[in-house]
Amino acid sequence: MAESREPRGAVEAELDPVEYTLRKRLPHRLPRRPNDVYVNMKTDFKAQLARCQKLLDCGARGQSACSEIYIHGLGLAINRAINIALQLQAGSFGALQVAANTSTVELVDELEPETDTREPVIRNRNNSAIHIRVFRVAPQ
Amino acid sequence: MRSPAHACMLAALVDSHLRGAPHPTSGRVAEMSNAKERKHAKKMRNQPTNVTLSSGFVADRSGKHHNRGGKPFQTQKSESHSGSWRQRQTKMTHHSSPGANEQSSSNIMFKKKGGWKAGPEGASQEIPKYITANTFAQARAAEISAMLKAVTQKSSNSLVFQTLPRHMRRRAMSHNVKRLPRRLQEMAQKEAEKAVHQKKEHSKNKCHKARRCHINRTLEFNRRQKKNIWLETHIWHAKRFHMIKKWGYCLGERPTVKSHRACYRAMTNGCLLQDLSYYCCLELKGKEEEILKALSPMCSIDTGLTFAAVQCLSGRRQGSLMLYRAHKYPRAMLGPVTFIWKSEGTLGDNSESRQLWIWLHPTLKQDILEEIKVTCQCTQHMESTVCIQDPLLIPPQEGNQSELPDEKTGKKRKWKDDGENAKPIKKLCGDGTRDPHQPYSWTSPTTGIIISDLTMEMNRFRLIGPLSHSILTEALKAASAHAGGEDTEKTPHQWWIETCKNPENVSLHHRQEATFKLLGGVASPAEIPAGTILGLTVGDPRINLPQRRSKVLPDPEKCQDDEKVRQLLLEGVPLECTHSFIWNQAICKSVTENKISDQDLNQKRSELLVPGSQLVLGSHESKIPVLLIQQPGKVTGDDLRGWGSGWDVLLPKGWGMAFWIPFVYRGARVGGLKETIVHSQYKRSPNVPGDFPDCPAGVLFAEEQAKGLLEKYRRHPPAKRPNYVKLGTLTPFCCPWEQLTQDWESRVQAQEASHGISCLKGEEGDFQRAQVPCASALEESRHPDNGADPATKDSHEAESVMDTECPDQARTEQASSPEATSGLCVLRNRRVLRQLSAWCGPSSGNRWAAQRAHGRGQQELTRETCLSMSDCFPRALVWVSLSLLRKGSPEPHTMICVPTQDDLQQLLQDRGYCGPLESKHSDPFKSKIRKQKEKKEAGNRQPQGQAASEGLARRGPDGESLALTQGLWPGPLPAVTSHCSRVLLGFVTQGDFSMAVGYGEALGFVSLTGLLDTLSSQQAAERGLVLLRPPASLQYRFARIAIEV
Repeated sequence: MAESREPRGAVEAELDPVEYTLRKRLPHRLPRRPNDVYVNMKTDFKAQLARCQKLLDCGARGQSACSEIYIHGLGLAINRAINIALQLQAGSFGALQVAANTSTVELVDELEPETDTREPVIRNRNNSAIHIRVFRVAPQ
Repeated sequence: MRSPAHACMLAALVDSHLRGAPHPTSGRVAEMSNAKERKHAKKMRNQPTNVTLSSGFVADRSGKHHNRGGKPFQTQKSESHSGSWRQRQTKMTHHSSPGANEQSSSNIMFKKKGGWKAGPEGASQEIPKYITANTFAQARAAEISAMLKAVTQKSSNSLVFQTLPRHMRRRAMSHNVKRLPRRLQEMAQKEAEKAVHQKKEHSKNKCHKARRCHINRTLEFNRRQKKNIWLETHIWHAKRFHMIKKWGYCLGERPTVKSHRACYRAMTNGCLLQDLSYYCCLELKGKEEEILKALSPMCSIDTGLTFAAVQCLSGRRQGSLMLYRAHKYPRAMLGPVTFIWKSEGTLGDNSESRQLWIWLHPTLKQDILEEIKVTCQCTQHMESTVCIQDPLLIPPQEGNQSELPDEKTGKKRKWKDDGENAKPIKKLCGDGTRDPHQPYSWTSPTTGIIISDLTMEMNRFRLIGPLSHSILTEALKAASAHAGGEDTEKTPHQWWIETCKNPENVSLHHRQEATFKLLGGVASPAEIPAGTILGLTVGDPRINLPQRRSKVLPDPEKCQDDEKVRQLLLEGVPLECTHSFIWNQAICKSVTENKISDQDLNQKRSELLVPGSQLVLGSHESKIPVLLIQQPGKVTGDDLRGWGSGWDVLLPKGWGMAFWIPFVYRGARVGGLKETIVHSQYKRSPNVPGDFPDCPAGVLFAEEQAKGLLEKYRRHPPAKRPNYVKLGTLTPFCCPWEQLTQDWESRVQAQEASHGISCLKGEEGDFQRAQVPCASALEESRHPDNGADPATKDSHEAESVMDTECPDQARTEQASSPEATSGLCVLRNRRVLRQLSAWCGPSSGNRWAAQRAHGRGQQELTRETCLSMSDCFPRALVWVSLSLLRKGSPEPHTMICVPTQDDLQQLLQDRGYCGPLESKHSDPFKSKIRKQKEKKEAGNRQPQGQAASEGLARRGPDGESLALTQGLWPGPLPAVTSHCSRVLLGFVTQGDFSMAVGYGEALGFVSLTGLLDTLSSQQAAERGLVLLRPPASLQYRFARIAIEV
């Protein structure tokens, strides 16, 4: 899952950073189907593109080719998700179509106290996400 | 006369002989040693005798041989059968013609070959005119029979059974010869007879059936776990794991199947199950303030939250911390522990008394238990006799509990004495870390705290991985609340009926059940607040065991309930839901005792009307209190967040297997101790006890490891093992932390001296002044020298928070200052570590990172700040993680070294630069060892009297020689830091290729002084680059250092 890079200064301005440590929790997500691809900023772009291509061409391990895949990107990785989807489409000679959906994902930050007397603080923040459906269409 | 096939066979025979024979014409013939001949003889051992005998035959009748040798060749030629044959013949002549001269000399040694040489020699000269059919046929017949014999004879060492291809093997063949193919039966028969003699005789007194009898087996099992206690899942593990005896237990080390990667996948995508029941639990009971007061000197707020942390104290979260000897922080480390408080004031408990469980590793237990006993002033043993005499101190509930082991030991003793008379019971409880006759509970008359040792009273299973939610929710079903009093017949589970009489309890149970069900909709344990505790009462998990092993998958249906899941993720489990009856010893005991045995359960299942339908036990079904504790995965650092998170399940004893099998049947893969190490390594957390060099258990571990490795090293001959002296590795099997830190200290001091003290004196004043305004991390370090600074630090709440702690910590300072000169400590002060970690990263660019650092009150890396830090923590070690830039996978005891300017320059120019090479060292000890050996041999040869007279002179070197091992540095080590071309900084304690990140990763300790010195001398862009070199290699590899807080 993508690193969510929203301005951290905002969070830290309110709370004394000496008193708390920021711990980000994993974003909540739904169980993964074989044709879901979560895009991140760490893996090489080409590798992720190849993975999507492979899913469309021959399918996941032990399965037949998917007629559609879902590419999910969160935060900074939205750009990359769009890029991958468009690359797939461009390389398919019109056999692939894309349909994008955007959404907002709630993220949880936990601020761990440095002193015993304080309760941990939970903060909620939102981040945008994109879900691109890439699917085959019958060539006209 | 003979067929061409025969000729071919003959040719092959001739050929093989020629090839098999060493070249006799070479000049080395004379030198040929006995050894070579012996080797040859060994090779020919399985050759039938009469084939080799042909040479003797030749020697006898050489005249005839000429004819015989020649004629077939001729016939062959006349048949013009094959060109190859002729070639071979010419080759033969070529080989033999020069050898003819030397034949006389070599004939004695190589009689066999001589014979064959003689033939062609003759053939080249004259071709026989005729051939006698009779003799020729006889000779051929002998050869053929020899060949046939050779074919039938088995030459390898394997058993007949092993020669069969796998698909033809059957299990029954091993004891019934007739199951084998007929052609092998004869040989197998012989083997079987041989094996019968070798087989160990079984005890005569009991037949196989008697030995398998349940009572006898239990007896035998109890005998076998006298020394090393078995876990409840032992027999399951022993069938599938390599078992080792460790820490007083028999533990599964690693699965027998090849599963390193599969276990990693289970941790990342599936679920890995581990039996951690060998972990020890200490229970403290008493007033909250008393317990906190007693324990506060043992921990420090500097290293993280303590026992008094609010969220832990309420009982909602599990806490973890480092324990030190009282008032000795930062020295005298005892070990890391996790703890849980029982939630306060639920279900009519008297709120005065609190319960605290401290979970720790068995190696740390002795020290920590002793220390806690001292701080709590608990000296009085609490035994049943004490209970009766002193009822005021102990509530009646405790009385029952303390009687438990007594009666157990009594039973055990009885059965030992009377032998078969007493019915042996299955040993449910045992503790590898203490003697059964020793007291396990202590109380204090002054503080009122009761300490009891609950080791092996509970089972602890750990599930790691995202699938653990699905497995838990699938395998465990909350117990059905007792419906009402319509069936008041006697059930063994009276406690549950009693509980259900109270509607509050029932509603709490339903809330717990609802919360637990929500877990099924959470994709990963890392989404839940770290250390969340959830109590639950579940039904018997054996009842809805699936027919076969399968893998559960997360159910998308469950993930729909959005709002409640959100609530759970945000706020965690509500406080009242953390309550569990597992805290109550009496209930646990009754649950353990009233467990339906597997046999009865299966019996009932077989009596079902519809086979395979759901078994309904109704009120007879056991209700088991469990406690679920979330284990946070990787919380430090930026990458792999939440990796390796999971749940721990605490169960009352006796129920281990009943829960284990359902977990396994839902698709959990089981790991052993090796997987624990892998887990902690990928999480980049220190492994207990190996990665705690400052606690006694860690020191002991290192010693044992070094001993084991040395033994293994010595088992190889010198030529087959690395010569560590030549490789420049002083200590391949241990990490000399003391010497490393001392060396660095003196090194830096020497540098200072050379820099000139005068100029530094002036700066020091400036530095002192400069440090005052900025909120330095170092001020927290409380060194007496910095005593002036903390005055400015009153803004910190730490002091005001710990009212009780303050005087103690003041004492800590005084206590630690004289000790500071000796012994080593590991830096665990979070502020200082955070500062260091900021310095380690490359501080190029990254505007907001710099901003953040300023916001956190961090300092620039300068010479002065470094100096002051290393002054505060003399001889400290820092836990670092290292990731390799390019190639290489480090191993334990790999050396962490400082790169030179040239190395960094080269890396900058060439991105593919792998790293410098260490030049080979000389081995001054090799000749010494050889001399000693020679002397020894000479001494052995000399008569006794002479040797005795020489003895005095030789005493000196001989004393040394005992310790000398070729390839290892003997005696006291020279300066460890400057032994090689790159300066040594520290050692790796865990290291391997990390499948989680896809390159080599290592964890280890470096000297704080050395690290600061290195960082301050490096350019900002390449700060934090170090070199790694494994002990058995000369190649250095680049790695980046990181400190994760």
